[in-house]
Amino acid sequence: MIRLLLKNRGARIGVGVVLLLLAIAATADVLTGYDPSQMRAGPRYAPPSLEHPFGTDQFGRDMLTRVLHGARLTLVVGAIAVSISMTVGLLIGLFGGFSKGFLGGLLMRGVDVLFSFPDTLIALAAVAVLGPSLQNAMIAVGISTIPVYARIAYSAVAVESNKEYITAGRAISASRARLIFLHLLPNIMPPMIVVGTLGVSTAILAAAGLSFLGLGAQPPTPEWGAMLAEGRNAFTRAPWLSTFPGIAIAVTVLGFNLLGDGLREALDPRQRRMLR
Amino acid sequence: MTGYLARRIPSALLAVLATTVVASYLIHLVPGDPVRLLFSESQATSEAQIEAIRRSLGLHLPLHEQYFLFLGKLLQGDLGTTIRGGQPVLELILGRLPVTLTLASCSLLIAAAVGLTLGFFAAYKQGSWIDTSLMVTAILGVSVPHFWLGLILISVFSITLGWLPIASGDWRSFILPSVTLGLTSAAIVARLTRSAMIEIFAQDYIRTAYAKGLKRGVVLSRHALRAGLVPIVTMLGLQFGYMMGGAVIVENVFSLNGVGRLAVQAILQRDFPMIQGFILIFSLVIVSLSLILDLVYMLLDPRIRKAT
Repeated sequence: MIRLLLKNRGARIGVGVVLLLLAIAATADVLTGYDPSQMRAGPRYAPPSLEHPFGTDQFGRDMLTRVLHGARLTLVVGAIAVSISMTVGLLIGLFGGFSKGFLGGLLMRGVDVLFSFPDTLIALAAVAVLGPSLQNAMIAVGISTIPVYARIAYSAVAVESNKEYITAGRAISASRARLIFLHLLPNIMPPMIVVGTLGVSTAILAAAGLSFLGLGAQPPTPEWGAMLAEGRNAFTRAPWLSTFPGIAIAVTVLGFNLLGDGLREALDPRQRRMLR
Repeated sequence: MTGYLARRIPSALLAVLATTVVASYLIHLVPGDPVRLLFSESQATSEAQIEAIRRSLGLHLPLHEQYFLFLGKLLQGDLGTTIRGGQPVLELILGRLPVTLTLASCSLLIAAAVGLTLGFFAAYKQGSWIDTSLMVTAILGVSVPHFWLGLILISVFSITLGWLPIASGDWRSFILPSVTLGLTSAAIVARLTRSAMIEIFAQDYIRTAYAKGLKRGVVLSRHALRAGLVPIVTMLGLQFGYMMGGAVIVENVFSLNGVGRLAVQAILQRDFPMIQGFILIFSLVIVSLSLILDLVYMLLDPRIRKAT
């Protein structure tokens, strides 16, 4: 499967970007000689130079250091938000799809109602309740995409649970938990992995958006969305303050999008045939 | 057709009802005491004042009574008053709603026009360098955050070229925000249009249409596009919901005085009546729009129209 994935040029770029981000996140502390919140690391509003390749901000903090540290935060945000929506969504989808009873039906109706609202609205409502902070933004973004994962899990379960291996499992009176977690779950994971990968990029964009609005990470946290919001005030004077965080977000999101698209092609034989 | 409507309208009503429940109980989900939270910074508030505010919000009543009180007031068009300033919530929101709706509609138009054209063209030229470069642009477009694209557009068109003043207050102030919101969506629309059209181009009836000697233009417009419109219209409907969400961010980038800006201020100030009103009105707009779109959908697709 990995070979199939790497055949795709877009996916190769995606894998490269994601690996690079992981490397940056792991080594952000030692890559530059500065601390992300260290003030007067250089002059205020210094344009990009050899000493400060991404320039410095209104407090003389080194922007390169801040952007590199932002990678760590951003990956954590993406991972946690997707874990929340993936776990809850999978549980709802598995339960709703497998038990055809009243409760399962009710659960999926609820998901349908939630699905009709844009995730930004759900995330805003969640932040309104929890209060603005980076941690709450992650939770809010996680909650906001639960319906997407629940629906995909549900339809995958609906297809799989009519297959013979499930009937066979029932015939030898395997317990329900065994059927769900040992037989069904591994078979619905491929579509979930694709959605999860693409979901990382959605989550990163959404969380950066909340931070940009002041509803997520608060200054002086080196979060890309929050940095963009800070840099916006000095936009004409120091365009580099918003440019580099902006590029960082776009490249990260692009990396996960390409990886997700590549995974989808590698995992979905129908689409693979359609492409070539 | 009536059967379809009979199923569709109750589910829309259910969504509205669910929203009223969520909006009414929202304040109780807040960790800690919401009233105290509101006044945490001002020490001057006495216990009696806090109690008075609690009463004015109806928080001293049992939960079910609070809900029915909320619903009763809602039916009379009363969404309460803001905590800071004491202005009527409904009036404030309705005053700003046209801005948000205009922004979302203009963006949708841009997204549809650009996305459909490019997606259709890419599918038609499938596998060529035009297709590849269009799709590369599209995936770049989905990856650029609204708020950054907005800043770039401001710097190019407002600051450097000086063509479009920011916050001029007239129709010109809608151009850049709509382009910002529309282009990101156009990328999504183009990608989906392309894959929908590629699937249709591979169908037997398209080959048959060509085989019986129809002109290319006729096959493309009458046979292919008509069939492709159904999934595309559904998608545009979903996009409108996302536009309403995206408007919240874009309004803040361009200092456009829509509902989204109001909502963000309310969340930052933890002004709950305003937040409730925002969630309620936004949901109402989205639910009714998706209902209208389902009707359009029904008119487009005879399979749905005739299945009663």
